Amino acid sequence: MILSMEQVSIRSGEKKIIDNVPFSIDKGEWFALVGQSGSGKSILSRAIGQLLPKNFQVEGKILLNEEDLCSLSPKQMRTIRGQTLSYIFQDYQGTFTPFRTIGQHLEEYQKVHGNLDTRQRKIKSIEALHSVGLDEAFYSSYPFQLSGGQLQRASIAIALLLSPDLLIADEITTALDSVSGHRILELLAKKQKEIGCTILFITHDWRHVRRYADRIAIMKDGVIVESGGKHRILDHPKHAYTKQLIHATPILGKGLLSGLQEVGKE
Amino acid sequence: MSLLTVKELTKSYQSGKVAVDYLSFTLNKGECLGLVGESGCGKSTLARCLLRIEPINSGSIYFNNEPIESLNGRQLYSYRKKLQIVFQNPLAALNPKLKIKDSLVDPYLEYAKELNLSYFSFTSKAAFVKQLLEAVELPSSLADRYPHEISGGQQQRVTIARAISIEPELIVLDEPTASLDVISQRAVLTLLTELRETLNLSYLFISHDLAAVNQMCQRILVMKEGHLIDEFNRRDLFDNERHAYTKELISIY
Amino acid sequence: MSGLSLHLQKLKKFSWSGIAALICLIFILFVVLYTFFHLQHDPNLTNLDERLQGMSLQHPLGTDQLGRDVLTRLLLGAQQTIGYSLLALLAALIIGVPFGLISGYKRGLVDRVFMRIADGFLAFPDTIIAIVLSGLLGPGIGNLVLAIIMVKWVSYARLVRSTVLAESQKEYVLVARTNGLSPIKIIRKHLFPHIIGHVLVLASLDFGKIILLISAFSYIGLGVQPPTPEWGAMLNESRPYFQTRPELMIYSGLAIVVVVLLTNMLGDYLRDHFDVKKEVEQ
Repeated sequence: MILSMEQVSIRSGEKKIIDNVPFSIDKGEWFALVGQSGSGKSILSRAIGQLLPKNFQVEGKILLNEEDLCSLSPKQMRTIRGQTLSYIFQDYQGTFTPFRTIGQHLEEYQKVHGNLDTRQRKIKSIEALHSVGLDEAFYSSYPFQLSGGQLQRASIAIALLLSPDLLIADEITTALDSVSGHRILELLAKKQKEIGCTILFITHDWRHVRRYADRIAIMKDGVIVESGGKHRILDHPKHAYTKQLIHATPILGKGLLSGLQEVGKE
Repeated sequence: MSLLTVKELTKSYQSGKVAVDYLSFTLNKGECLGLVGESGCGKSTLARCLLRIEPINSGSIYFNNEPIESLNGRQLYSYRKKLQIVFQNPLAALNPKLKIKDSLVDPYLEYAKELNLSYFSFTSKAAFVKQLLEAVELPSSLADRYPHEISGGQQQRVTIARAISIEPELIVLDEPTASLDVISQRAVLTLLTELRETLNLSYLFISHDLAAVNQMCQRILVMKEGHLIDEFNRRDLFDNERHAYTKELISIY
Repeated sequence: MSGLSLHLQKLKKFSWSGIAALICLIFILFVVLYTFFHLQHDPNLTNLDERLQGMSLQHPLGTDQLGRDVLTRLLLGAQQTIGYSLLALLAALIIGVPFGLISGYKRGLVDRVFMRIADGFLAFPDTIIAIVLSGLLGPGIGNLVLAIIMVKWVSYARLVRSTVLAESQKEYVLVARTNGLSPIKIIRKHLFPHIIGHVLVLASLDFGKIILLISAFSYIGLGVQPPTPEWGAMLNESRPYFQTRPELMIYSGLAIVVVVLLTNMLGDYLRDHFDVKKEVEQ
């Protein structure tokens, strides 16, 4: 078990945003957290990396590799972020500092986490770009020169650069059109197979993950209403809200919603 | 009977980029025609050309068998009252400083003299706004609110109400659900289908979501890099003759 | 991120200082108008027998070095100072706002030409223009107001232009265009509400600056000419008596300070008011 949450509640002032959320993610799995905007799923994901503003109070335990993140000092937290835990966000434009090249971004993270050899860093950066299907030319280009899909690829390269144990992908395909989003997901699935990291995938549209996720949790108004294996949730939903979500989204294929038939048992 | 016919339409930007390349298609009266493609394929540019906001390079556009690509002044004005658009981002499409009711009656006040409404009737502004809000299943108490005070799904319903307020013949829907969450998406799509039937409208539904297009439309066009690469009836979606790109799109959903 | 901002929404706070400033300003304007119609003393009537008197029932604030009633001159001076400042401000608005609207909406060549003209005006600081105009046309309040207008309209034109540039890109303007609204209607109905807030804020903050400018130039003798009462000029006239009758300077000095302070408070209030609204929108 890589991440487990024990009765986590998050409040901002009087208002309870997350209410007693328990869940755990096993090593190497793709865990999808599905919920509408405002359900608190992004706040929960930020709480894991201690990225919330000061006015949010987190209660309960968030255990990453058996270590309670809430009890760590800011300095210890910094070494965890990036190395064992990394993020990819929805807003691909905002993820990059506009006046620094993609290469500079990639190098910075290695430098911060202790790789001091300049040549080695560059080689590793270019390797990382290749591994997400971007060629060497992008190393020296600026963020605005890349398309949304390319930027999101670069974000994946950065997030996986230091082989984190847990990758939190927060709505990474939402701002992209369905074709680019699809390709990003394929890439992420391929990378997961290669390096075996765990993925916490946050999305509002279960169609994005139905092919890749192992387990799904449905979140509504700060509470997890239903969670379980993909097949169980999508093909045999129990909670009314899950049914509503599934009903609201059109799909094309026939067969099971979880897409199990199409993927097979690879 | 064809309502809109586009023939060999070409549009390129000053930078030399060809956004729409030699595109031809027909939209029939009463039909919902889907246009699918990824971002940057030229589908939004096409919408702007149809609205006559962007000048076109060559080709022709017929609306009710009349060429409209070179209309000006008075004739353009009467063309525009038959055509409305709903954009992706409803918050940008509503003036933040105007109350919902003022945004709603804007098109009607402009065309009031030439309109002959059959479904709605303008007795007073308040009654008209109430009718429109009812038509899109919104409470009439929203009339006095500002756009930022209501949810995204409600905003999009308001822009739809504005579009149908002058009972146009064709509505161009440019990704109308892309910025909404899945439950509102479903509700808005259902609403649009109902409105099409009650008001006898035609839609050009532009989207990157093939599943949504398939739910809404009778016929589907697939666009890639400015070209029209596939055109088919909904029932032929899974046909083996589909273009490889269409098959890829299908595999996503 | 939408989840976060939802809970960080700022509560709109009600500010009394702005309302108080507004009430005070209206009160001052009322008093000044009242004085205009019910003059107790001739402001320019010199009476050397009664010069430099202290407070009395007859002259509540005493008399100045020529025996003129200070209160009357102070209140009539307000008409000069505030009146000419308002005149300059309004004229700057009337020139600047349409200029910016047309420039921002039309874009292209019109925009470029208009903005280069504006840049030209912006190149000269207000003091220089005022001094040069006084040198060429002779000192006088008319020339001073002209100089102020020449400098101030540019900032309104630029402000309005930038707002219109940003807003006219939005889709609601596009929708209005496809609905056949003429440019004038679009500007009036859809763009004007956006600029009015910004312009009000800038105008109320500018008002204080213009009052200071007019007083300052009258003080050095380039503005209102004696014997017309004006606060800056009154300051200058009472300067020789600073040792013996400091209150003569304090009255007019304080009047300037209070009015400028009030306009600035009003400006701050308006700015907060319009800013808060904007935050909620986002």
